[in-house]
Amino acid sequence: MPRPGAFLVVDDSKLHHQMYNLIFTRGSLIGSTVHHAFNGREGYSLFVTHPELTMVFLDLNMPEMNGLEFLERRRAEQLHPQIPIVMVTTEGSADDEARGRAAGAWDYLRKPFTPPDVERLVEHALARAAAPS
Amino acid sequence: MGADENAFAALIQDYVAECLPPAEAVADAFVALERKWEAGDPAEEILGQLKGTLHTIKGNSAMMGLTPIQALAHALEDLHGLLTRVPDLRIQAAPLLVEGGGLLVQMVRGAASGLATAEAVDPYLEEVRRFQADSAQPTSNRSESGPSLEEVDRRRAERRASDRSGGEAMDTVRVEARRLDALLEIFGETMIAHSALAEVRQRLIAEVRGAPALEDLDRSVVQLEKSLRHLERALMETRLFPIASVFGRFGRLLRDVAHSEGKRVRLETAGGETRLDKTIIDRLGEPLIHLVTNAVIHGIEPAAERERQGKPAEACVTLSAAPRSDRVIVTVHDDGRGLDPDRILAKARALGMTVTPTSAEEIFSLAFLSGLSTAERVSSLSGRGVGLDVVANAIRALGGSVAVASTAGQGTTFTLTLPLTVVVVRALIVTVGGERYAVPLHDVAETIRIVPESIHEIDGRSMLLWRGELIPVSDAAALVGRGNSGETARRYCVVVQSSAKRHGLLVDRLLGRQDIVAKPLDPSLGRPPIVSGATILGDGRVACILDTARLAEPLLFAAALGAKTVTAGGLA
Repeated sequence: MPRPGAFLVVDDSKLHHQMYNLIFTRGSLIGSTVHHAFNGREGYSLFVTHPELTMVFLDLNMPEMNGLEFLERRRAEQLHPQIPIVMVTTEGSADDEARGRAAGAWDYLRKPFTPPDVERLVEHALARAAAPS
Repeated sequence: MGADENAFAALIQDYVAECLPPAEAVADAFVALERKWEAGDPAEEILGQLKGTLHTIKGNSAMMGLTPIQALAHALEDLHGLLTRVPDLRIQAAPLLVEGGGLLVQMVRGAASGLATAEAVDPYLEEVRRFQADSAQPTSNRSESGPSLEEVDRRRAERRASDRSGGEAMDTVRVEARRLDALLEIFGETMIAHSALAEVRQRLIAEVRGAPALEDLDRSVVQLEKSLRHLERALMETRLFPIASVFGRFGRLLRDVAHSEGKRVRLETAGGETRLDKTIIDRLGEPLIHLVTNAVIHGIEPAAERERQGKPAEACVTLSAAPRSDRVIVTVHDDGRGLDPDRILAKARALGMTVTPTSAEEIFSLAFLSGLSTAERVSSLSGRGVGLDVVANAIRALGGSVAVASTAGQGTTFTLTLPLTVVVVRALIVTVGGERYAVPLHDVAETIRIVPESIHEIDGRSMLLWRGELIPVSDAAALVGRGNSGETARRYCVVVQSSAKRHGLLVDRLLGRQDIVAKPLDPSLGRPPIVSGATILGDGRVACILDTARLAEPLLFAAALGAKTVTAGGLA
């Protein structure tokens, strides 16, 4: 079962931040800490200072450093490689998903998603972290 | 209702706040594109910016479970893609784009009120599909000379026709609702000015008979009246919206109420394309919510009880609308247990009603009395238990009326009769005790000259023999609280009717027909129940509008008069 954790949401949509808040303040994820960033640059600063993150949810299209640039910079700097970064995509962006994976994204989450989708992803990430590598 | 089971439904206001600006930007860009394309400018830069915006709106709508908006944004994305690839199609497709942009704004804006229904977008989606299919065929006339003008015209005409028949009026211009309201206000003022002018003409005819200039004035006044009538029709046309936008809200509501009551109820709607004035549409939601909620809470039996009676466990509430001459009939039907006449009668007597109803129908009409239908059990959804009197008052305030029919064990039907428009009321102007009153012509069956002997006292009630039928009559002066004196002096009787019932209204004089613009009355004025509003006549005097349809509900009206202290004087 998933448990509460620390999450970073990087998305330029206020609406999406509120959706994540809903997801992380109910059910099995209740009690999680959520850090919010509204563009890639802001998100990267938070990413740098929070090595304890359980997972990052990263939107692709954002002003001031988009999701792909975020991923590329993180790979170049070898920063917190243990933190899984999930790209948030929409249908019809398979090419972005492929590019993101290549740039070091752990998985992707396609819109529209539901709270159980996010819970499942978190569960996978935690199971992976717990497994001996 | 796409948002039914959506986990993010609580964020609907945030969705509207976030998506409305980009939706408006899309709509504006489509308008700009049409203009530029017609001027020969490909405007690629505008086109290029739209892709991402549409995609974002689509994604957010999908997240919120707003499938109709998602589908609409998707269709616009497709259309956008097609036009990016095939510039030859642009001029031909521009009106379709503009229409879609307007619809998108409307759907996003209405999402919080449940207006974003499949019914509202389907006709447009079909149009886009048709356009795509047509453009995929290598038709000879297009490949030779681009889109022919005839083709463009035909499409526009088709689009307008389909607007009229079903979809909301969405043409190439978007106008804020408040501008339409302002137009209506100005039109009202113009009507009053016209009445004043017509009045002056009458006086002139009496005073300076035969002056040649008078003939010209006469012609101009008649011409003005004709133009005003055209203007009224045009204005009315801009304000008509399909009632589907109201019906669309009820899927969710019904489900929530049924859940909380532990009942199984489905909603059926019919006649959603029926069009009504925007003002009426806006104000119809609340009374309908009360009726639908009441139907589920009080009308529909628990599933077990229904099954015992051999009824399907799942109950059905039906909302339907249909035009009938210059009115629209809206019904709310449930297949529940029906009204209990004995209980209604007992309650009415407890409230001090003394009149004896003669039919079940009359008993049911008592349910609209204040205090009678208030819910005994307060559930979380019915709140304080809104009475049917609130519903009836809301409908009357719109110039409509409401009736109820019910069969024990089979269900209850509320029938709302609404005016098509609120722009103008055709009225008969009468005088009573020196004051003028307006009687909506819609309710008037006939006006007759009477003598005191025409009125008979039967069982303490004044009756008039009219076309072989005894109908109750009331002195208008008493109804408006100007005392009961001089009833025998009244010389005219206005016979009003509502459904199958008739009632006579005794007045002093008939001043003639006039188109009036109704103004609502300040509730603090404490108006008599028979007065529904007021209007300004040609001479600048205020006349109260009599809600004569209420007279035809004699029990209700007698009881209402008895229950309330009638304030004298009408409008100050």
